[in-house]
Amino acid sequence: MDKRERNWLFVLVGVFLLVNAITLSPLVPWQRWLLWSRPTPDRIVPLEFEDYQIRFPQGGVQVKVNEFVQFVATSKDVTYGFGVFRPDGTMVFQMQVLPGYENKITWKFDTPGVYDVRSTEYSGPRHSEMYFPNAIRVVP
Amino acid sequence: MTKLTWQTKWTLRFAVVGLLFLALSGFEGMLMRTQLAAPGALQGMEQALMALRPVGREVSSAELYYAMLTAHPIVGIYGFAYMLVFGAFYFLVPYLLGKEIRHKKLLVFNFWAQIAGVMICWGAGFFGLFNSLYTLYWPLPVSYDRVPLVGSIAFTVGAAIIMVNILLFSFNTFSTVLSKSNPGSYSFGAFLRAAFGISRLMKRLGKDDKAAPNLDYNGLPVFIVAVARGSIDTVINAIVLLTAGALILVYGIAALVKSPLNPAAVDPLIYKNWFWWGLDMVADGNVLMYTAGVWYLLVPLLVGRKLFGENVVKTVIMVDLLVSLGVWSHHLLGDQSQPLWMRLISGQFITWGEFFTMGLTLFATLMTIWLARPVKFSPPLKFVLGSMFGFIMGGAAGLIQANVGLNVVFHNTQWVVSLHAHTFLLTGLAMLLFAVVYALIPMLTNLEIKSSRLVNAHFWLWMVGAVGMAYVMGMAGARGMLRRTLYPEGSQYQTYETLAVIGGILIALGFVAFLINIIATLGWKNVLSLVVPERWLERKPALAPAEA
Repeated sequence: MDKRERNWLFVLVGVFLLVNAITLSPLVPWQRWLLWSRPTPDRIVPLEFEDYQIRFPQGGVQVKVNEFVQFVATSKDVTYGFGVFRPDGTMVFQMQVLPGYENKITWKFDTPGVYDVRSTEYSGPRHSEMYFPNAIRVVP
Repeated sequence: MTKLTWQTKWTLRFAVVGLLFLALSGFEGMLMRTQLAAPGALQGMEQALMALRPVGREVSSAELYYAMLTAHPIVGIYGFAYMLVFGAFYFLVPYLLGKEIRHKKLLVFNFWAQIAGVMICWGAGFFGLFNSLYTLYWPLPVSYDRVPLVGSIAFTVGAAIIMVNILLFSFNTFSTVLSKSNPGSYSFGAFLRAAFGISRLMKRLGKDDKAAPNLDYNGLPVFIVAVARGSIDTVINAIVLLTAGALILVYGIAALVKSPLNPAAVDPLIYKNWFWWGLDMVADGNVLMYTAGVWYLLVPLLVGRKLFGENVVKTVIMVDLLVSLGVWSHHLLGDQSQPLWMRLISGQFITWGEFFTMGLTLFATLMTIWLARPVKFSPPLKFVLGSMFGFIMGGAAGLIQANVGLNVVFHNTQWVVSLHAHTFLLTGLAMLLFAVVYALIPMLTNLEIKSSRLVNAHFWLWMVGAVGMAYVMGMAGARGMLRRTLYPEGSQYQTYETLAVIGGILIALGFVAFLINIIATLGWKNVLSLVVPERWLERKPALAPAEA
């Protein structure tokens, strides 16, 4: 291997180590609990997906700031997505919802407010209708 | 006019049809962008086209949009990209080996079958309103309350034709390389051993595999090594997608004869793993390897210098095979049901393997250009450099989303499809295929490209349009805009969509500049001779006075 190729390879290895170390570290806030601490949830929120609808718990979803909430989503027909969005449209987090599985994700909201839910996976021609504004309320 | 040979004509036919598919795919892309930028703008056209569709019911704009979204990648990838790859490889492989194509009739079959397969898939969307998207996530393609049954059957038949055709093309390529028409001929087993790098490994261990072709150490041209290696992915991809298509077809036929099968009999996660393992071979296997192979071939030819670091490059080609076999989980990072270790190892770390293989490939080709200075920036070289830029930009975006942490906010957003996929396809792959066309035409016809101004116009319009469109939509994705989602009037992303439409218009103008230049270079008669019998084009001799 030519010396210049070897030097370039060192650069590539350096970038690989740096980017992966940063993105797997707690510098990415949700990696603290999704990857490292894996805490026992303070609250479990079941969600049922069927026929382009999401069945939320009665009374809506209300959680507290900084508590660990586990969303457990099931689908009775096709694959959907469970995405939580801020009022300005930016995404907080999302996961796929596969039929036949309990699809779980734990989250900790750090800002009070109301959040929208949208299906993030195509599920048929009416997929775009799967928008549920103000579906999650996060209180102090 | 320059007389075109049989081989030249077929190469150009593949190119012409491939470019027509690019135009069709681009037109569909523009329609979808328009619908996102201004919902309802296409209603008049939709109503006019409904007269062509055999559906006796009201059809929503969303159904039409998603049907188009299903057909669009099939036309773009299997119509445009594969047709040009078929044409280029059917010329280059025999040319570089000094052999004839092993099965010439198969070449002609490949041409027509690919058109038929792509058009059946397109028709399944246009006429049959099949809308399951190319992802075909189980059990959506067999959920007939959401996707039309006949459309589903037609789509899978079209896809099966395409996949069988790809297998036949790969067979013809391999059998051409292996044909015994010259002393450098090998058995299939020996060739496979060499393509997988086993003979190289054996040599390292002191057991030289003398029966193997000299793929590894200054034997076959490095381009052929890359084609052989990429073709392994091509074959795996075709087989896996064939099995997925066959499964959907079985369910479709059962439903057609009123004996529906239970979709729950198939595990959607296992299906998704199997499907992406195969489908990803297109993106992370053959596209990258074929692209790298073409860089390895074109750059030394264009700058007049041997490829820098050829031995490392050959190792990279072999390593990339292992990488491409293991990266599929980056499509399942949004699936919390997928085991975390698979998301981490296959989805993130092995995907970084491509950072190394493509990083070394780019280094080798750029060093070749650098060491060959002063270099004349001929049309193909400009486009090769443009394609490298596309792969760097699209690759960087891909590594960001193929990350267990960051994927939580990037999965299924416009970031993925625009900044990553469309940058790869429009800036990376399409510019490379344009480079091949600009390089092959003088090789095939002894004609120089007519207008360098039009080449420059093509380059800059395409580059600015494709990069600009990908960038604005990538930013929309970073702001939470989803792919595969038709937003209503007044969504917060309409400014991004309007800018993306402008990018699309620039791309279209660049394409027109390219077409004008190619037709002016070849001449109308040559272009027409690709599609009509030559005798029709021969001028009738003027009648002699006595006969008059």
